[in-house]
Amino acid sequence: MAHDRRRISLGLDRFSGLYIWALFIVIFAVWQPQLFPTMATVHSIASEQSIVAILALATLIPLTAGCYDLSVGSTINFSCVVVTILQTNQGWGMWPAIIAALVVGVVIGALNGLFVVVLGINSFIATLGMATIVGAFQTIVSGDNDPLPVSGASWLDLTQRTIVGGFQIVFLYLIVLALILWWALERTPAGRYLYAIGGNSEAARLTGVKTGKWTWLSLVASGTLAAVGGVFYASLLGPSLTFGQGMLLPTFAAAFLGSTQFKPGRFNVWGTMVAVYVLATGVKGLQLVTGVQWLNDMFNGVALIAAVGFAVWRQRAAKSKRVRASVPSADSAPGPVGDPAGKGGPDTLPMEPGDRVTSPLSLCPDLADHSRQAPHTGTPPFPTGTGAARTARGRRPRPAGRAQPGATPAPGSGRRSPVRCAQTTSTISA
Amino acid sequence: MTLEQLAADDGRPPAGSAGVGPAALQAAGLVKRFGATLALDDLTIQVAPGEVRALLGENGSGKSTLIKILAGYHVPDAGTVRVHGTELATGSPETSAALGLRFVHQNLGLVPSLTVAENLCLVGGYAMRFGTIQERKTRVVVREELARLSLDLDPRRRVDELSPAEQTGVAAARALRGITGEETAGGAAVLVLDEPTANLPESEVTRLLGIVRSVAAGGTAVIYVTHRLEEVNAIADSVTILRDGREVLTSLGSVNQQSMLHHMLGVELEQADARPMPAPGTPDGAAGPLLSVDGLVGERLGGVSLHVAPGEIVGVSGITGSGREEIVGSVFGAVDRLRGRVVIDKQVIKPRRPDLAIAAGAAFVPASRERGGGFMELSGRENLSIGSIGAFWRWPSLRLAKERANARDWFERLRVRPAGTQESPLSSFSGGNQQKIVFAKWLQRKPRVFLLEEPTQGVDVGTKAFLHQQLRDAAGAGAAILISSSDNEELVSLCHRVLVMRDGRIGAELRGEELTNSQLSFHSLGLAKETSDHGA
Repeated sequence: MAHDRRRISLGLDRFSGLYIWALFIVIFAVWQPQLFPTMATVHSIASEQSIVAILALATLIPLTAGCYDLSVGSTINFSCVVVTILQTNQGWGMWPAIIAALVVGVVIGALNGLFVVVLGINSFIATLGMATIVGAFQTIVSGDNDPLPVSGASWLDLTQRTIVGGFQIVFLYLIVLALILWWALERTPAGRYLYAIGGNSEAARLTGVKTGKWTWLSLVASGTLAAVGGVFYASLLGPSLTFGQGMLLPTFAAAFLGSTQFKPGRFNVWGTMVAVYVLATGVKGLQLVTGVQWLNDMFNGVALIAAVGFAVWRQRAAKSKRVRASVPSADSAPGPVGDPAGKGGPDTLPMEPGDRVTSPLSLCPDLADHSRQAPHTGTPPFPTGTGAARTARGRRPRPAGRAQPGATPAPGSGRRSPVRCAQTTSTISA
Repeated sequence: MTLEQLAADDGRPPAGSAGVGPAALQAAGLVKRFGATLALDDLTIQVAPGEVRALLGENGSGKSTLIKILAGYHVPDAGTVRVHGTELATGSPETSAALGLRFVHQNLGLVPSLTVAENLCLVGGYAMRFGTIQERKTRVVVREELARLSLDLDPRRRVDELSPAEQTGVAAARALRGITGEETAGGAAVLVLDEPTANLPESEVTRLLGIVRSVAAGGTAVIYVTHRLEEVNAIADSVTILRDGREVLTSLGSVNQQSMLHHMLGVELEQADARPMPAPGTPDGAAGPLLSVDGLVGERLGGVSLHVAPGEIVGVSGITGSGREEIVGSVFGAVDRLRGRVVIDKQVIKPRRPDLAIAAGAAFVPASRERGGGFMELSGRENLSIGSIGAFWRWPSLRLAKERANARDWFERLRVRPAGTQESPLSSFSGGNQQKIVFAKWLQRKPRVFLLEEPTQGVDVGTKAFLHQQLRDAAGAGAAILISSSDNEELVSLCHRVLVMRDGRIGAELRGEELTNSQLSFHSLGLAKETSDHGA
């Protein structure tokens, strides 16, 4: 019985994206039998979404390390403009122009890393600022005039050449990039370090992980990958001054939706890929049915909130089940008096530092949270209690007895910069 | 039960005498049992309005159980609590608060980035008119409330700009909100201060004691929990000492510190205190220290030097705030150090560089698993191998099969339960098993120097013994081990010698025969001079 239930829920949780995808395909195939179930539809979805998917992979890398890169939208756009203008206005060859665009991406990523790692600016803020600055550079470079598209067969062939099955080659690039990223995240120490930093950056540091270096590299990687996306966009669809920012939400939506798939609670490559294409299939099908303009935005937004909301709800249900199973006795009664797990320190009444939830689903840019982060020095050791008490209290806002780890700031505790990466650890204040 | 009645000699009116008006707090015959442990054994305590009662006792003596009953979080198995004559419906925090029982915990629960007024108004709200906060009136009200505690503070100041004593005062003022004016005159309020001075520097303590006196002067009964015996007579009208859930002394006047200690520790403890087992392994002094620390200065460390030889287990003891909590993390680089030199296996370790310490052969188990020890959302396997992931890497891929086998092996070796759950997230394990996984992460690196903070905190007895054996084995194999712990028994049973911290310095070093629970307590509290000639 219990076994049955677990099997069913596992399937629904981890592979819900695949089920929904299949559902979309069946519904629209029945609804629009002439238009929807055709290879043309498959090819167009595959190509159109390749760029969004590449950008989603770019955002994914720093997200695994608990950092936001909000500048990818500007970067992909700027890269597209740079690679186009260098060829049309400056007469550069294709390859030098591509390399220049990629260098731009690397530089943007490196600067993001500088701000986040060295200066200790919250990644949400630093990359948001960077996004605006890159936008300004784009205006300087382009003069706010739409650049002329690059002509030339080799430039168009870069992404539009048809390969096996009638797909455009850009889709193959996406598959290759996804494979490389999957390998890097799942099969190399670098991936482990990134997930460790995202999970608990202090624990990662205390285990000898060079958290600054890896965070920096993750931002450089996202900048570079976004620039790659810009080059492909220019070749596939021609230059545009405005597409980048519009891609930001779909890419983050895909990354977050993806974190509910395959490996729930963790940003992962295949979940992100599936999320991109499930959303695209739904949008495409609906467009064939109605053809209204606002569908894309509406669909993406609703799907993001619904899917992540569902996953959070499932996770919470699973956690409280686990907690209920492990509650030993009335000794774990929650409340502001403190952690009743007397094992920790029977003679103190410790206040919990708050329920630290470490998962993409709680990855909100809660700036206040960072300012409230416990100073690492000078605070008494928190006897670690049972998850029971913490969880129960985490759900119960109690202003009066609120646990504030930083309540007694010890002199000099500010050495540890309070505003760093938007880490995946957010504190549900007790 | 010993009852000593000593006259209060500081001119304060004798307080707390039963029969003079109704007691502000009267708990009678409290019994509380947790499983096999009797936490409270027929405890009776009575506190008069305006009285400051010091509540003393070693860890596990029942103080916190008593406080939790008062706060409404435990239901006693027997006994009653009356507040100003009204019986407390135990087990209900709301009733407890309504009857005027208020608490200030060691972690004050203030929001550092908000102002004094904002912090106070989190409880009881602001002065309002038409749904708008009346800033000026709020400030006046807050100022009055602070003045009642002899605190002259600008309500607009941010709490994190205040001194620690002032912060404690603000927390007390906030706790006492809603018990003002006429109610206080009735003596309805009881304020419990749980170790308010644990983290205060010496100069701040005096300030806080003044605040406490002002609270009491307003008619509030104060229960003052502390480990600092020297401040007891300065602050308290009366003293109650608990041991093993029983009241062993209530004195309505001052008590000398020696007497307090004897009651806290109990006489029979002295004999039962023989070391459970000798620490194994012979420290190899001739080889030179594996870990050398010279002139370590940190936030609470005022120049500490220590050396640990191969095979040696050295403990660090001391009360909260003595520097005990900081020293190990500071050596490893988890927290900053201002000055001082750390050498691990002949390699100089720069401040805040755990990676260098690890490369030199160090392992570090922090006091907080949640904050620094483990990755709660990562699997047991990933937690195990994060520190030595390079061992599983061979181009072009991590050897996952090898990694899984290694995790399975360590789970079996350290008997992590439930067995075979290497892929479950760390958060799904019990505290003891989480700690085993954290240990395993380091043990597989075969560290030469162990730096441990509260290594068996929140861990059950069986696991504790097991982890201790792992450490003894490691020392036997030539590792140098430095442990800071608030658990004296742990230090006594495990260590070759123990350094007792006192105000950021090593106050004493105990070894051999003199390394006993009671000696550790004596030295921690700075009372060693009279009882022992080994003070540093």
